[in-house]
Amino acid sequence: MRRVRDWFANPWGRPRALGTITWLYMAWSIVPVLIAILFSFNDGRSRSVWQGFSTRWYWGDPNLSVFHDPAAKSALEQSLRLAGLDMLFAVPLGVGLAIGLTRWRGYGAKPVNYLMLFPLVTPEIVMGVSLLLVFVLLYGIALGTEAQVLGQVTFSISYVVIIVRGRLLSIGPEYEEAARDLGASPLAAFRLVLVPLLAPAVFASFIVVFALSIDDFVVTDYLSAGSPTQTVPIAIYSNARGGTTTPALNALATVMVVVTLLAVGLAYFVYRWAARSQPGTSGRALNEITALEV
Amino acid sequence: MSTGAVELVHLRKQFGEVTAVDGIDVSIEAGEFFSLLGPSGCGKTTTLRLIAGFERPDDGKILLDGADMAATPPHRRKVNTVFQSYALFPHLDVFDNVAFGLRRAHVKKAHVRTRVLNVLEAVRLGGYEKRKPGQLSGGQQQRVALARALVLEPKVLLLDEPLGALDAKLRKALQLELKGIQEGFGITFVYVTHDQEEALTMSDRIAVMSGGHVEQIAPPEQMYEEPETVFVADFLGVSNLMKVTAEGAEGGACRTRLGDFSLRAGCGEIGRQGETHVVIRPERVVIEAYEASGENRVPGMIERVVYHGASDQLVVRLATGDLVQALFVRDGTSREWAQGTAVQVHLPVEALRVLPPGPAGGGVPTPQDVALDATALEVPAS
Amino acid sequence: MTRRWFWPSFALPGAVWLVLLFLVPTYAVVAVAFGTVDPIFQNPVPAWNPLDWQFDTMRSVLAEFEPGHTFWIVSVRTLAYVALSVAGCLLIGYPVAYYLARHARRTKGILLVLLIVPFWVSYLMRMLAWIGLLFPDGLVNRTLIHLGVISQPVGWLDGRPSSVILALIYGYVPYLILPLYAVLDRIDRSVLEAGRDLGASPIRTFFHVTLPLSRNGILAASVLITLPMFGDYYTNDVISGSPHTSMIGNQINLYFQGGTQKTVGACLVIVLSVFLALLMSYYLWVTVRASAETKESLL
Repeated sequence: MRRVRDWFANPWGRPRALGTITWLYMAWSIVPVLIAILFSFNDGRSRSVWQGFSTRWYWGDPNLSVFHDPAAKSALEQSLRLAGLDMLFAVPLGVGLAIGLTRWRGYGAKPVNYLMLFPLVTPEIVMGVSLLLVFVLLYGIALGTEAQVLGQVTFSISYVVIIVRGRLLSIGPEYEEAARDLGASPLAAFRLVLVPLLAPAVFASFIVVFALSIDDFVVTDYLSAGSPTQTVPIAIYSNARGGTTTPALNALATVMVVVTLLAVGLAYFVYRWAARSQPGTSGRALNEITALEV
Repeated sequence: MSTGAVELVHLRKQFGEVTAVDGIDVSIEAGEFFSLLGPSGCGKTTTLRLIAGFERPDDGKILLDGADMAATPPHRRKVNTVFQSYALFPHLDVFDNVAFGLRRAHVKKAHVRTRVLNVLEAVRLGGYEKRKPGQLSGGQQQRVALARALVLEPKVLLLDEPLGALDAKLRKALQLELKGIQEGFGITFVYVTHDQEEALTMSDRIAVMSGGHVEQIAPPEQMYEEPETVFVADFLGVSNLMKVTAEGAEGGACRTRLGDFSLRAGCGEIGRQGETHVVIRPERVVIEAYEASGENRVPGMIERVVYHGASDQLVVRLATGDLVQALFVRDGTSREWAQGTAVQVHLPVEALRVLPPGPAGGGVPTPQDVALDATALEVPAS
Repeated sequence: MTRRWFWPSFALPGAVWLVLLFLVPTYAVVAVAFGTVDPIFQNPVPAWNPLDWQFDTMRSVLAEFEPGHTFWIVSVRTLAYVALSVAGCLLIGYPVAYYLARHARRTKGILLVLLIVPFWVSYLMRMLAWIGLLFPDGLVNRTLIHLGVISQPVGWLDGRPSSVILALIYGYVPYLILPLYAVLDRIDRSVLEAGRDLGASPIRTFFHVTLPLSRNGILAASVLITLPMFGDYYTNDVISGSPHTSMIGNQINLYFQGGTQKTVGACLVIVLSVFLALLMSYYLWVTVRASAETKESLL
């Protein structure tokens, strides 16, 4: 007992108590997810009692497995479709906005700057409700994939702006001025200098928007048109408590986690590889890709 | 011999409330090494950016060989810039950095290659063309920036504190190299710096700027020996500035009163009358025994003796309260002075200069200033 | 010198997008809240012109915020849940962030990766994980029975405030730790060593140097999780599902997804938004004042 106490209280050693708390926290944050993944391989129908290993909920079961259940397949497809479309629209719009807001010194820049910050602090339910109302009552846009994309892009743009603007501010205006000085037109300076220098930040934006879209529940749910436009988070929300729900739901969620982690892992290595020639960026790769989700 | 004369006519630039450049008139001759010297915030960099075309002047003209360039965007001006941060494109290698401007001008591929390799040879960077800027030292990056601008054969090369980021030793070496390159290429250099020594070593002429105005334009020796304003006298080197009352010219010199003492100042605005300043360089001050007599002598007491290796610096408190510094080369002939000795300070007529009245506070150095100056003091090679 | 329209034209599409899909929708909520209801289908009829605004619905909604009434109870419950959850997040998150920033050396890399993993696992997947554990025959009950803490399985998912609060803590704590870590990591180590050198014990150094220096970070990170928590309804729905634990977000969701009274829901959205805007202004006021103080002390 004494030795245990001394181990924790050595004034010159590292604070063991804090270290213990930290590791306990890490375990607490990750082990439940690992257990949920484990239960996706359960042989029985229970999501809480282990009945042996099987892959029936992935493809074995002819009706209920992720591979054979049309609802699960459709949710997976819809999640990826929305993520793809969100990236396609949000990244160019956000990059343009970031560049415009950083370089444009006019009177319009300030209000747009504030407007860009609002989606970051607005609770999702407020955005979901307002988009639902405006689509139905004013724009006459049918709920479903189009509406979901419009909604997701709206909250994704601001994150792209934050990422790209950070990079722009660290680049500074000198490179463009140098290009102009050497005879490049504004457009050529943009294409030959700014675009390559911004590439890592644009890449990071794609990944962050992908994650935002995959993870989104509220806005996507508010703008969905029933089962064909359900995403994986909506499927989890609707079925998580159901008594008849099988470990197939865990399997569906697991597939999504694996897809996301693979995409992010791959992106991280591509990013490091691409950024290696730009001094000062490679060390920040991890932070740039991940921290900005906050 | 060559083209590249720049004329700034009543050039003015304002940023919001701040007037960065306040209606300056400067005429830079073709092929000249011209420095804009001044403390930070004096408007020198803005002037450079106006010539380059990054800023649009609020008023005035910028003439290049007589043609107004005010409406020409930077990429169409036959003027190139070496940036303080170099701004080498980090994603391109040395060759592509230097070739950037040639390609924008649609120079033939074979010509691009020869011209880039030639200019890299000229700045002694042959063989480095495949390196990325991140793999070069500070001095090498500086020379790539120079090559990138020189390869376009500009009429005028603008340099914005190009040596500012380098350490002292490298800076000295590159000063000489820059001057050599300028003479070799015969291009007009407009050089912005806050480092007076740099400006004095390299320039054909210097413009000292302060608060958006040009204080004085002159060749280095003249700028140092014959400052026209209190600011220039104070900014360049160490000066002894004293507030005096001038009483007008009399026999080729100005009669002035420093407290109870009468001083004759033989250069500068000898016709001036009223409250003003006189200045004398420390190396022109003569310290004599207390018993010495004659005109332009003021009694004082040695407050401090500072050993500087090749020279001695004396700080003397005059009977009027003013502090005067004197500088001696240690050549074995001068006598040793001890702290606390009463002396006569001789301020020779031909070395004492009358200036127009300067801004308040720009006058007599405080003991702290003296101490700071003493550490920064550079002794001319003896 | 670039042509005038060159840079603004980059920002234009994004700016137009935000106006059409953020600003106009926000106004639509106001138009619905102050609009009327179609008498047959009970559909909201928005009043786009401020001159046509009706305040009856808002008045009756605000009446329900009086002590003892429905929305009063829900608001107090929401405030209590959010306050307890944020406190819980800080209690867990601060030591972790502090350890990571100050003491983790060889293990820092792996700890940072572990810290970031939850960001890439969907929020609802993380909730699903707990549902499996909290089932009557789940691991939590079985462990507690095995240890003799309880004799009968506890219905953790049957509308328990404690489950909801713990789930909120679990869900939001990663979003608190990361910014907090960033702030603590920036504190200059020599300042802390100066504290020790001047005779403060590690504990006193922490309370008199580290904690005050990280005050703004704590505030910012708390705001960052508070804002979305006020709009959260899904955590509550999947962990409890009982009206006895419902928060303001559940109430709003009820009016839009379930019921027909969208006008009432829109009024609630406005009340919530105004409350959050006040919270945000207070936070901005505090930080602006704090940065002004630091500037003064530097002068």
